[in-house]
Amino acid sequence: MSTPIRKPGIFESPRIGEMSRATKVVLYAFLLIWSLIVLFPIYWLIITSFKDAADVNQGPFFIPWVDFQPSLHAWKELFVTDYEDTLRAYLNSIIISLSATALSVLIGSMAAYALSRVEYAPNLITILFFVFLLAMTGLAVGLYGVDWRLAAAVAVALFFFLARAVGNLYQVRLKNGDILFWIISQRILAPIVVVVPIYMMFQSVKLLDTHIAIIITYAVVNMPIVVWLMYDFFNSIPRDLEESAQLDGATMIATFREIVLPLSRTGLAATTLLVMILSWNEYLLALFLSTSKAQTMPILVAAMNAGERGILWWTMSVAIIVMIIPVVVLAVVLQKYISKGLLVGAVKG
Amino acid sequence: MSVQTEPAGTAKAISIRSLNKFYGAVHALKDLSIEVEAGEFLVLLGPSGCGKSTALRMIAGLESISSGALLIGDQDVTEVLPKYRDIAMVFQSYALYPHKTVAENIGFPLKVAKTPPDEMDKAVRAAADQVELGELLERYPGQLSGGQRQRVALARAIIRRPSVFLMDEPLSNLDAKLRGNMRAELKHMQGELGITTIYVTHDQIEAMTLAHRVAIMKDGVLQQLGTPKEVYSDPATLFVAGFMGSPPMNFVQGAIKDGTFNASGVNTPTPGAPDVPHATLGFRPEDCAIAAPGQGLLDAEVFTVEMTGDQVLVTLRLDGAPLVVKMPKEFEIDAGAMASITLDPAHLYFFDAESEARLRF
Repeated sequence: MSTPIRKPGIFESPRIGEMSRATKVVLYAFLLIWSLIVLFPIYWLIITSFKDAADVNQGPFFIPWVDFQPSLHAWKELFVTDYEDTLRAYLNSIIISLSATALSVLIGSMAAYALSRVEYAPNLITILFFVFLLAMTGLAVGLYGVDWRLAAAVAVALFFFLARAVGNLYQVRLKNGDILFWIISQRILAPIVVVVPIYMMFQSVKLLDTHIAIIITYAVVNMPIVVWLMYDFFNSIPRDLEESAQLDGATMIATFREIVLPLSRTGLAATTLLVMILSWNEYLLALFLSTSKAQTMPILVAAMNAGERGILWWTMSVAIIVMIIPVVVLAVVLQKYISKGLLVGAVKG
Repeated sequence: MSVQTEPAGTAKAISIRSLNKFYGAVHALKDLSIEVEAGEFLVLLGPSGCGKSTALRMIAGLESISSGALLIGDQDVTEVLPKYRDIAMVFQSYALYPHKTVAENIGFPLKVAKTPPDEMDKAVRAAADQVELGELLERYPGQLSGGQRQRVALARAIIRRPSVFLMDEPLSNLDAKLRGNMRAELKHMQGELGITTIYVTHDQIEAMTLAHRVAIMKDGVLQQLGTPKEVYSDPATLFVAGFMGSPPMNFVQGAIKDGTFNASGVNTPTPGAPDVPHATLGFRPEDCAIAAPGQGLLDAEVFTVEMTGDQVLVTLRLDGAPLVVKMPKEFEIDAGAMASITLDPAHLYFFDAESEARLRF
């Protein structure tokens, strides 16, 4: 296909190759300055990790071997003296963010695929009845000490006989859009609002300070983002392709493996990365759900901010550097997919 | 489920028995019944929204059948999954897999059927040669022109030698010239392979040129089923008469009373016809001619004269309604002149304007 030749609009930039020399010089100068501004904090972070307490406290010095003598003491402290704490937090962060990401991307993208391909029509009355009976069962068990088996049996019986009858009488059907909005709306709520109930829930099942609690919480918190992004992405894959594959004799699994999965790779990569970064950097929920064993890197870094010895800028810098590295590596590796996935989106035949 | 009892590639008859489709309260397809013979090329023709695509998708198994039965060969496939129906379909969008090469696209039906690789390669090459794509096997669909994509879709459909071909407006995305070529190739290929084909289009020329039989649909109802010649020269309803032919049939609104059709400026005897208060008289542009005023069926003012190359189209206006007459290319007349239309009474069609049914007497 040939690209039609046309003049760029006022707000469209011409290609770099087509620019005049002067424009290029100005452009690159600007980009250079901007890069310096953006990258300077990271440079500062790196040199701080090689500074002594005295160097930090004396004020901002930026040039190693001239302004100050670099030393490895902060690195030693974190990786030799306290290596157990560092390593545990690091491993925790890796295990938790990988598992939570895998879980939420897997379940979330399945939900998104179903929402984009299957038309659901759940009955609102039935759902409300279900929630009502659930609450009543909880109340009966919690407040009045009714045996939970009895309460559950009554609730199930009531649900099947009454809810179906009532539901059939009043047909208020929800649509896929309603389900999608409900899922996304879970993300509108600020996490701080639900952090105490979540804490108490995990306390009651004795899962506080475990990986599993944080993994589940992260997976649930990130699920709406996965569903939202992947729903849009799956919708951009023409349905014709799957129908054609079906007619060509492919099973549903083969259709998914051969057609849908390869075409949604860019979307999955972008979503995975986004969720991974969110889980990796998450602080608030981890603060509540972990005390020592399951502590993640953000908690470790924050702890250095509030020790008895004052703010330990140097060890904090080291911890932040090792925390940033995996994210940077991941972003570089997946960059090709991300730019495609987030900017192009649609699959064109 | 063992559905394939006969070897693949045998043309099979399709029996469509009062198929209905409801989308909620919308009755999209009403009691469609057609017996398609083995090896026949049947075209479903109609304007958009007439239910033709719905019917095709129901035959494919992509839409459920609300009521009725569908038989392919002697197998009832009403409830059978698409992949067990032994059909191939060409979509309007071609539905090529953008991440697979041309060879992988064409070979996909064999790949999912777990055909050995060397056998598959041979079949892909043969199918690609048949549609003249041999050079492009390693390209991706995005690198192909519209016509080439169309050929890939065709090759993918024929590689498995299905017993039924379904085509959903396969030529509508091509430019006019290419469409003509592909039409001829499609017809040739269908004749050669002898595979039962159901083809959906809104283009009456495609229908006329390709079909053994045409099924004309409107609002989910089958209007007429017959050979192209039958539906053209003996339309069953006002809709069919107006849909077939280019330019379409001319219509004059009037009434039949006491054995005469009366409209403003028109009086023509209709011996033996019952009285119809709202009747429509129809005649085809090529069945009539222009004559001096007062000599023909009706007099009207010439509105425009269009020279198309092989003929001259003269449009007259009678009470604001256009009447088109096809004249030989030598014919000359000025716009604004008065003229008369003459024709053989045997070429007049009468319809009941309310029920749209053809009046025969």
